[in-house]
Formats: sequence, C-alpha cells, structure tokens
Amino acid sequence: MMTVAVFLAGLCALLPLLGLTPLAHATAPIVKGLSAIFQRIVMAGFAIAAGSGLLIALTQLATLITRNFFGVNFIWLQESATYFFGAMFLLAAGAVLLQDGHVRVDVFYSRFNAKQKAVVDLAGLYLFILPVCGLVLIAAGPYVAQSWATLERSSEESGIHAVYLLKSLIPTFGALLAMAAFVRARTLCEALTHVSADQ
Amino acid sequence: MMDNIILCLCACATWLDIAMVITLCVLLLAGFPASFTLAGVALIYGLLGLAIGAFDPAFIADPFPIRIFGIVNNDVLLAVPMFILMGVVLERSKIAEDLLDTMARLFGSVRGGLGISVMVVGALLAASTGIVGATVVTMGLLSLPTMLRRGYDPSLAAGSIAAAGTLGQIIPPSIVLILLGDVISNAYQESQLQQGIFAPETVSVGDLFAGALIPGLVLVGLYISYLILMAVFRGHTSPAVPAEDRFAVGEAMSAALRTLPAPLILIIAVLGSILTGKATPTEAASIGAIGAILIAGGREVLAKGPALLLARAGLAAIVVLILLSETVDLRLGRAVTSGTEKAGIALAVLACGVLVTGIAAALWSLLKDDVLKPILAKTTQVNGMVFTILIGAALFSLVFKGLGGDETIARALSATPGGAVGALIVVMVVMFALGFFLDFIEITLVAIPLVAPALLTLGIDPIWLGVMMAINLQTSFLTPPFGFALFYLRGVAPPDLRTAQIYKGALPFVGIQIFMLGLLAAFPGLATWLPQQIYG
Repeated sequence: MMTVAVFLAGLCALLPLLGLTPLAHATAPIVKGLSAIFQRIVMAGFAIAAGSGLLIALTQLATLITRNFFGVNFIWLQESATYFFGAMFLLAAGAVLLQDGHVRVDVFYSRFNAKQKAVVDLAGLYLFILPVCGLVLIAAGPYVAQSWATLERSSEESGIHAVYLLKSLIPTFGALLAMAAFVRARTLCEALTHVSADQ
Repeated sequence: MMDNIILCLCACATWLDIAMVITLCVLLLAGFPASFTLAGVALIYGLLGLAIGAFDPAFIADPFPIRIFGIVNNDVLLAVPMFILMGVVLERSKIAEDLLDTMARLFGSVRGGLGISVMVVGALLAASTGIVGATVVTMGLLSLPTMLRRGYDPSLAAGSIAAAGTLGQIIPPSIVLILLGDVISNAYQESQLQQGIFAPETVSVGDLFAGALIPGLVLVGLYISYLILMAVFRGHTSPAVPAEDRFAVGEAMSAALRTLPAPLILIIAVLGSILTGKATPTEAASIGAIGAILIAGGREVLAKGPALLLARAGLAAIVVLILLSETVDLRLGRAVTSGTEKAGIALAVLACGVLVTGIAAALWSLLKDDVLKPILAKTTQVNGMVFTILIGAALFSLVFKGLGGDETIARALSATPGGAVGALIVVMVVMFALGFFLDFIEITLVAIPLVAPALLTLGIDPIWLGVMMAINLQTSFLTPPFGFALFYLRGVAPPDLRTAQIYKGALPFVGIQIFMLGLLAAFPGLATWLPQQIYG
C-alpha cells in the first residue's frame, strides 16, 4: 500500500523533467502550480524549525534551572526539548535544499559553468535525493504505523505521551525533502532550457 | 556451472564494500551535496547487495528509521543546535567584531600586538562557535583588511587568520568535539563488547572537552610564540599601530571593560560548568545560547531604553542564580527549610522572574532590529545541513557494515605492520588526505565510526585518539593547496592578495601543527591527564 503510494508519488516527481521535452507547454502550468504549493509547505516547515531552534534553548535552560537549582524535575519539560530538536532538523532539511545550504565538495564544482552545475544538481536530485526520500517513506511507514497503532507513550509516566507524533516527523522529513526536490527540479529545468535557448 | 555463478557472486560481495567507498569519493567530487551523495550511494549499493543476496531488505529498512529516531533522542547531539545558535548570535550581533577591534587597540601599540590579538580573538571565537568556515570568514572579513592596512606582511596575516580559524575544531566547546565524542563513545562501547567486556567503560563529551583543552591551549601558545618571534626578529612583518591611531590608555581600558567581560564570562561559565561537572554539555549549551542572546540584547547598538536594561538585568540574574545555588540549598518540596533558605528561595524565584523578562526584552530588541529572523534562519540552516549529513552517514554505515566493510577494515588494520602504532599512522594519513576534500563533520561522522572500533580494540586510549584525530584534521585543513580553511580565506581575501602568499603564510603553522602532533604522541598525558584529574 505504502510502497504503491510512494511509487506513484515518484512518477509525479518526474513531471518537472517534462519541461525539458517538447511537452513542456502542456505540463508547465501543472508543474508551476504544484511547485508553488510545495514551496509554501516546505517553507512553513522551515519556519516551524526555526522557531523550534529558539525553543530548544529556552526549554533546556528552564529544565536546567528547575532541576539543578530548585531540585524539581519536570520530565515533560525535559522531553519537550527533544520534540523541538526533532522538529528543528527534520523539518528544515527540505528548505535547506532550496536555499542551497547543504555543504558540497566544491573542488571542481566551483569551476563548472551554470549549465554543468545545473546538470550535476538535476542528476543528484533524481539519482540520490528522490530515491532516498522513497526509502525513508517506505522504511519509516511500518515503524510509524506501529507507533500510531498503540498511540505510543513516553517511557516516563509524567512525560509527553505523543511519541507517535515525534516519530511521524521522520516520514515528514522524507515528504518535505521530496517536495523541495520537486521545486528545485523545476527551477533547474527552467534554467537549463534558458541556457540552451541562449546558445 | 551453478557453483561457478555462486562463487562469482560471493567474490563480488567481498569487494562491494571497497567499491562503495571508491564510488562515494568519486561522486562526492562531482559537487552534489555530500549528505545526499552519501545516502544515495548507500542506497544504490544497498540494492546491489540485495540483488546478490549479501543481506535481506529488513537489514536496511528496519534499522534506518530507528537510527534517525536515535539521533532525535540523543541528548548529547541536542547540544549542537544550541552551540550553533550561540555562535551565530555572537557573530550577527557584532560582538565578535567589537572584541577584535578593542583587542587590536589595546595591544596594537606593541610590535606584533595586532597579530596576537587576532590569535586570541580567534581562540575565543573558536571556543564559542566551533565552526571553522564561519570563524575563518568572520576573521578574514574583519581583521585581514586591518592587518594589511597596518603594513603586516600579507603572508603572515593570511597564515595567522587561517590558523586562528581552525582553532575552532580543537578548543572546547567545539561542535566537532561533540560529534567526535558521540562517535568515539559508540566506537569504544562496540570495541569493548567485541572483546567480551560486558560492563564497558564509557567516554563522554566532557572527557573529550577536558582532553582537548590543554593541547588546544598549548597550540594557541605555540602560535603566539611564533608571532612573537616574528615580531622580535623580523619586525617589518608585524609593525605596531601608528601612534595617531592608538587609543589613549584610559579610553582603551574603558572600551575593553565595556566589550570584553561579557563574552569572556559567558565562555568561562559554559566551559567551567562542563569541566567541573556541574552541568552536562547540553545544559551548558543552553546557558551559552541564552546568555549570548542576553548579551546581544544588552548592547547599545541593538537595544535602547528599558529593553536594554532588562536584558542586562537578565544577565545579572543568571549570575545571581548560579551564585545562590552554590551557597544556599534551594531545593523545593523539603519538610524543613531554615530562614536563610526561605530567603534564598524567594530571591532565586525573583531572579528567575527577572531572567524571563530579560530574555523577552532581548528577543524583542533583536526582533525589532531585524536580526532575530536572520539569526534563527542561519542557525536552522547550519543545523539542517549538519544533521542531514548525520542521516546520510547513518544509512551509509548501515549498508557498509551489511556488506562486511567493518570486518574488511578491521582485517586491514590488524594486518598493518607495526601493530597499533602502524595502524594508527595509516589511519591518520588517510584522514589527513580525506581532510583535503571532505569537511570535518563528514569525516567525523562517516570515516571515524568505521575505523575507530578497530583502533580501540588494538588498545589505544579513546580520549587521546579523539584529540589526535582532531589535531590531525585541523592540520589537514591548513595544508596547501587543498586545505579548507585556505579556501574559505581565499573567498573573502582581497584579490591583490595572491593565493601563493596565503599558502606561504600557512606553512609555518602547518609546521607548528605537526610539531604539536609529535608532542602529543610523545606525551599522551597532555590529553589524558586533565580528564583523569576531573573525572577520576
């Protein structure tokens, strides 16, 4: 079931590539519309992630003060830092792709021209990122479903009993990354057609 | 016939792990983001492994989400985003800039003083951010033009800045030491379990911080000694700031008193609480991040009026809280509390109120000045980058081990002539070479987990190993022509500074680094003594 859904989603992810073919005129509006929606979702993820970054420090400091100074232990407070931490990096990865913030080995890349760079990036999107997103979704599917089935609770009685939500961040990471890859693929295909048109 | 095919497939299975590493290295050079290249190569080889039956699908699909969830649940890694936040706040709120400016004016009147200031500020910045690229770029933008304008030898200026920037890796609390601590402690447990020790000893990030402190300070000392030698014997390379640009003594002192204490106290509080065991690195990181925000909110350039005073009061409240907790028992919910304790608790609660107001005021000032959003965006971006590599590396190591790669490495290392020393030298040389085209984060998260268990099984001390690796990589980052720090510096240096001059300037510091490695190899106590004193 999950595998089929992921496979269909993977077919949709090929849409931006049609921009390089004579079919471009027919598909462009759909791709453009989807890409705008995806971009909004990805950037919303980034906004949540950025807010969580600040909240990690605030909740961690609150935990430190209550526990080490006043000797009161709020397990939910301590656990909330974990939730913010997970939200921070799992929801940010897609947006970081759009902002080109993932570190590259640029010994050769920095010397490539615009077209070569676009080709490398496009190949990477389809050979590496999208298959990995598929793996994350397929692998995390049963793992998260099991957690939802039992509405998995924290191992501490006074903890936050929403471990299933925390685990759901993992497939969300895969989905956001795939959406970001879609948006980026469209930009790159557009850039490539412009480059070839200029020549 | 059938036998032959099976034989052939089995032969493939033994070299797939090596082919995987080679493929990774080649594809990384194409320049696609490293985190996804790691994961993608792992996926392709995972499928190959499945096809030839080296392992079954459950081997990858089951543990992969558990590994990702393990990162989310890791208390040590939780410190990373907070230290990054602290570094970005110090950088974006121009605290670092002021620090450098003041130090330069304070010591600039002496020959070589400016260079030494750069080194000291570099060490401080390093201690606070731990991101090599960021430190080199910041220092390159801030101090390189100043040094050149003051008539410093371009090579010497470039070399000192690149070297100062790499200190971020070795001086705690650096992010790379946190990552390295996590990796080494896992490797140490693994190697002990393999040897049949079922109550394994542990290494903590605190151990590694304590271990790296003395070598880091010795390194700063050696750098500064070199600068002093240059100032004494080749005065023209590092002239004093001309008299008309100097501060009057009183003015310089007051400027120093304004800018220096806050960041210094912050760094001492963070490092001190970790080393004395009062707080875990994660807890200390929260003090560092929030403290940096309060310092930023208490600066005249960013805040004014009541918000500025509130932020400063918040900073004072932290100090009051720490002092109170040291002198009075503040624990709530006890049956008997004396009058002093009641007073102490009341005061502490009041301080908490002030702290909360102070944080709110500081955040409000930063928001109003349009610095809060860029700070959070930058922090999130760096974190997203680091942790995506972690996820990619997790998949890579899963597949690599599934293909039997860990056994291949263990066999190769134990077959190296010269026993533990020989194996260590081989690993160090390979890591040095990897440092030319991989970032510290990638090497730490990908290469070290693969080699460390085998090395530790040969009886090498984990803390000493961690510090040696950190210094080795730092050296690699400084070494022309591929060193990362030099690339970053080239990116921000003025065009008339020739690349050859940067290379020439870096060489003496590479010499110092190699000397330091030798020193540490000869006297392992430099790394192991302090952790023993602190943690026993």
